[in-house]
Amino acid sequence: MRRSSKKSSSSAPAGQTKAVSKEVERIDQLFYTYADSSSGMVDPEGIETLCSHLEVPHTDVRILMLAWKMGCEKQGYITLDEWRSGLKTLRADSISKLKKAFPEMVQEVTRPSNFQDFYPFAFRYCLTEDKKKCIEIPVACELLNLVLSLQFRPQVDKLMDYLKYQNDYKVINMDQWMGFLRFCNEIIFPSLDNYDPDQAWPLILDNFVEWLRANKN
Amino acid sequence: MSGGGPPRKRNFKIEAFKHRVELDPKYAERTWKVLEHAIHEIYNHNASGLSFEELYRSAYNMVLHKYGEKLYTGLQSTMTWRLKEISKSIEAAQGGLFLEELNAKWMDHNKALQMIRDILMYMDRTYVPTSHKTPVHELGLNLWRDHIIHYDMIHDRLLHTLLDIIHRERMGEVINRGLMRSITKMLMDLGPVVYQDDFEKPFLEVSASFYSGESQEFIECCDCGNYLKKAERRLNEEMERVSHYLDAGSDAKITSVVEKEMIANHMHRLVHMENSGLVNMLVDDKYEDLGRMYTLFRRVPDGLSTIRDMMTSYLRETGKQLVTDPERLKDPVEFVQCLLNEKDKHDKIIHVAFGNDKTFQNALNSSFEFFINLNNRSPEFISLYVDDKLRKGLKGATEEDVEAILDKVMMLFRYLQEKDVFEKYYKQHLAKRLLSSKTVSDDAERSMIVKLKTECGYQFTSKLEGMFTDMKTSQDTMRDFYAKKSEELGDGPTLDVHILTTGSWPTQPSPPCSLPPEILAVCEKFRAYYLGTHNGRRLTWQTNMGTADIKATFGKGQKHELNVSTYQMCILMLFNSADGLTYKDIEQGTEIPAVDLKRCLQSLACVKGKNVLRKEPMSKDISEDDTFYFNDKFTSKLVKVKIGTVVAQKESEPEKQETRQRVEEDRKPQIEAAIVRIMKSRRVLDHNSIVAEVTKQLQARFLPNPVIIKKRIESLIEREFLERDKADRKLYRYLA
Repeated sequence: MRRSSKKSSSSAPAGQTKAVSKEVERIDQLFYTYADSSSGMVDPEGIETLCSHLEVPHTDVRILMLAWKMGCEKQGYITLDEWRSGLKTLRADSISKLKKAFPEMVQEVTRPSNFQDFYPFAFRYCLTEDKKKCIEIPVACELLNLVLSLQFRPQVDKLMDYLKYQNDYKVINMDQWMGFLRFCNEIIFPSLDNYDPDQAWPLILDNFVEWLRANKN
Repeated sequence: MSGGGPPRKRNFKIEAFKHRVELDPKYAERTWKVLEHAIHEIYNHNASGLSFEELYRSAYNMVLHKYGEKLYTGLQSTMTWRLKEISKSIEAAQGGLFLEELNAKWMDHNKALQMIRDILMYMDRTYVPTSHKTPVHELGLNLWRDHIIHYDMIHDRLLHTLLDIIHRERMGEVINRGLMRSITKMLMDLGPVVYQDDFEKPFLEVSASFYSGESQEFIECCDCGNYLKKAERRLNEEMERVSHYLDAGSDAKITSVVEKEMIANHMHRLVHMENSGLVNMLVDDKYEDLGRMYTLFRRVPDGLSTIRDMMTSYLRETGKQLVTDPERLKDPVEFVQCLLNEKDKHDKIIHVAFGNDKTFQNALNSSFEFFINLNNRSPEFISLYVDDKLRKGLKGATEEDVEAILDKVMMLFRYLQEKDVFEKYYKQHLAKRLLSSKTVSDDAERSMIVKLKTECGYQFTSKLEGMFTDMKTSQDTMRDFYAKKSEELGDGPTLDVHILTTGSWPTQPSPPCSLPPEILAVCEKFRAYYLGTHNGRRLTWQTNMGTADIKATFGKGQKHELNVSTYQMCILMLFNSADGLTYKDIEQGTEIPAVDLKRCLQSLACVKGKNVLRKEPMSKDISEDDTFYFNDKFTSKLVKVKIGTVVAQKESEPEKQETRQRVEEDRKPQIEAAIVRIMKSRRVLDHNSIVAEVTKQLQARFLPNPVIIKKRIESLIEREFLERDKADRKLYRYLA
């Protein structure tokens, strides 16, 4: 997970310093338009406002990707450092620039090397104070839809059906979450020819495959 | 020698005659004629008139004077001519005399050959080897072979005659074995190839078709046992035939023909024969037939495996029916006895008829293992069987009998896959036996524990042994209690406390019921005493497990001593202050849990001969609206009446589910411990290997389900004992 650096901005060549510090100033200013004054962070309300300005629904996957870029630790909240590092990397210091940066950001995230990092990040992002290791099935379904449906629509559809149907598990843990991605990447769908339950697949996927095979008729 | 001059040194030489002693060719011809004449005379049985010395010398001279070739060729042609004459006379022989004539002439020829060879010995030793000719004796045999045996007219007839004689003997006729012996020996003498080509091969072919026909005939009309008897008889016959008049080398060949035609070709049909095949033999303990089948089938490839496979499938089928028959399952003790009987029966068959063949023993074991585990109540039932035996079945038995029965039970135990289930039940049943003092022999109990320990290790039996220790310790404690506190206790009820170490005993904790005041008082005194001498312990009365002996006086003054459970005692004591009580009154007064209360009331009011209470209404079941009265009119022939309900019995469905659930719960940590142990030593391992290793480690106790193993692995991953390898997600890695 990319962590935001807690240090303040490092030294830069003299000529650029002015331009850079101007950028930093604008970024910071932008931050404070959304941040809540008492907490010093952007809170869920602020995020909603941000989304409406960006003209992207706050349930859109791009907001999640943005959170990844920023390295947000807590769902629904953005700290100044996180904001800074995110927008700096995206080279955006205004809403319009931010918006323009989105297509490239999506491309970047979907590259396999980055996706391997983004995907578990999405899971961790959904963890809460009381549920530190698992997320509930409905949340997991939504998340799967958000994160994987572009690349693996048929698998995601079936998986969502199954997760809602079964009652062996009420929550999903990180191991199972990672298993889903591995499944989509490695298993031929919908034939499932190369799936072997004697391999180390999480049990929930063994059950899923069995359910799929039984319901083929 | 030349003279003059000094003598020169020379080697002394002896020189042969300078002039050749030429033998007059006419002389050679004359000499040959003499020898030729002699040969004829020998064949004419006129040898006595000849001079051996003279003939020898003649032959010698011929060879010496380089007429060896003439001699040899002469011999050849003379003998050939002679044999041709002989063949005509043999050919002329009629019917049965053919063989005799042949044999007689053969004898003659041999005698003649010997004499001729003696005469021509010098040629045999000098001319023959140097000219690479066949020695005389061998020549004689070859000529006989070529001109007699291979002579068309004789050859076929000879073979036919021999085969015909053998056939007649097979059909029961008595034949001239000596003559046969002589003929076959002749063939062998002529060379093994002659014997084989001119007799043995056709003999084997004819025999094969003979036995093929006969076996077909037999199998249509005989039952399995009789067929085997006939096959055995024929086999022995052939072996005897060989030993009497065939060459020893034919033994293996003819027996394999019989084996093939009579046994191998009909194996399956025999084994599967209805009403007389293998299964019937097994069922009816036909040791002799089975033994015969074993010895015969052992001779042919796949013979034994045919028997073994059939036996295995029969055992599995019968066993399966036995363990799934609901009628049988009603009585667990009978059920197990049936299993033991089946085992005994088949052990005996293998011992008596199959010569203790290990492969058959293994087949028996694997069959039993297969079907015993088909019924998941087998562990419980075997424990109940042992319980019955230790409770009363072994009463009066000698030590050897006890050992024998327990050893047999251990054999069944070994077949169990779920030994941990057995352990759970054994513990329960043992607890009941110990607490109600219902064991027939302490030694028998101990012996069983030792056997289990030998089989499964110390861990299996440590808690069981703890139970015995508790019983002993309790005895000592009670003794001390009464020694020290007898004055204080005075006339109150006598207490006998068993102090059970939690963890060793399979107690189901339940809140104590409400004890009658007299009992409570003495219990408290004991508690105070015990805690006084044992620091830091906590005692909880297990009122669901105790018993009580109470004296009751009924309407007409009859006194009885009732042996009841603690719960029942509490209920009955209530009737000291009231003649009639409702269900609700009793429930309140005793605080006994509803299920147990109903069961107790049932045994106190609804069982004939034990109805110390009377119930209104008189229905069979207990309802919460019932009222109970002390049964004044109770009678019993016995002074001591037992109404307790602590006997071990087959569990009800819900109880069974509960026990099984507890077993599953117990298995989880065992599986996890095994996984962690394995991963700790191997560090990195793939999924299948873990499953295999875990199964191997735990198989002495139970057969773990691979799905459960996977679940446990995932749980361990979640708790960060293991992780998936980052590079290869098929591997697991141990996290230190």
